[in-house]
Amino acid sequence: MAVSLTSTLAGAGACEIRHLCCFEPPPRLTQAPTKLSPSRLSHFKCFWQTPQSKTLTFLSSTRFSSSIPATGKDADDGFLQNVGEDTDEMFDKLFDRYGKVVYRRNDKKSASAEVDDDAESLSFAVALAKVASEVKAGDIKVLFVKPLVYWTRFFIIATAFSRPQIDAIGSKIRDMAEKKYGKVPSGDAKPNSWTLLDFGDVVVHIFLPEQRAFYNLEEFYGNATLIELPFENQPPPFRG
Amino acid sequence: MIQPQTHLNVADNSGARKLMCIRIIGASNRRYAKIGDVVVAVIKEAIPNTPLERSEVIRAVIVRTCKELKRDNGMIIRYDDNAAVVIDQEGNPKGTRIFGAIARELRQLNFTKIVSLAPEVL
Repeated sequence: MAVSLTSTLAGAGACEIRHLCCFEPPPRLTQAPTKLSPSRLSHFKCFWQTPQSKTLTFLSSTRFSSSIPATGKDADDGFLQNVGEDTDEMFDKLFDRYGKVVYRRNDKKSASAEVDDDAESLSFAVALAKVASEVKAGDIKVLFVKPLVYWTRFFIIATAFSRPQIDAIGSKIRDMAEKKYGKVPSGDAKPNSWTLLDFGDVVVHIFLPEQRAFYNLEEFYGNATLIELPFENQPPPFRG
Repeated sequence: MIQPQTHLNVADNSGARKLMCIRIIGASNRRYAKIGDVVVAVIKEAIPNTPLERSEVIRAVIVRTCKELKRDNGMIIRYDDNAAVVIDQEGNPKGTRIFGAIARELRQLNFTKIVSLAPEVL
């Protein structure tokens, strides 16, 4: 399965394109991935790591002065094995010296704006989780999935023990989000064994216990950071 | 451009391997389905000892098409195969994991469950 993705320069939605740097699509997955990993970019490193080895530093005068970017065929196998932990710094240095940003998305937010948005979404997610815990949802987990997927920031995963309870949790969350934050979710309107409420930056999953074990979203997003909830230390609600 | 009689790959671990579209859900007499459309399909090939069997009629969502998908910003996405994900009547996927890249248009069409199980979203 391969994907071909064509785009005009104005619509290049991926990321900044630099000299010395060729982005390749990730390798195709042939079997079920057990976890999403944040190190998606690791294969990019492999592609442009050739100039990072120490032996190349004295060669750089000859090789780079003529401004010919090193490509994969220039690399020896020995260089490829020489991937240390400090490679990122080396790449940054190389980019500073030889790399040049030729295109940057202008709708990209600044780092401080991103942090503000994250904090806002976090407070929203924690408020939603609190509402869910008030309606006695079990095993509520808030995951920070932004490093793994680009399309949302937080996942809230909760278990309800019956369909009426799913309905109650869903409607409470909807009411609270609409009244306090003015957000209306898309997703399931009717209670479902896996009810999903999509608020954009926060996605709420409410499962029945069997479905939660079946889909096992926590394992799939195992690399995501678990957010500590302020009300978590309270004793679990009594269930008769 | 999926129409009745089109054979589709299955992009999840539900147990089905090949589907054949037999009807497109939506307007009556609709000719073609594209990414994000629900079709009725029959299982032509299935992995043995799984809940789904050959010649069973199921619903599926199209997630990849050879026919290119155009976006407003000029991006064009074209896959190498036609693939679908098996869903039940409620819209929950029958499998637990999705294979391969899928398009983000599925989220706008309320298939966020499929998007959240996918390894890669374009």
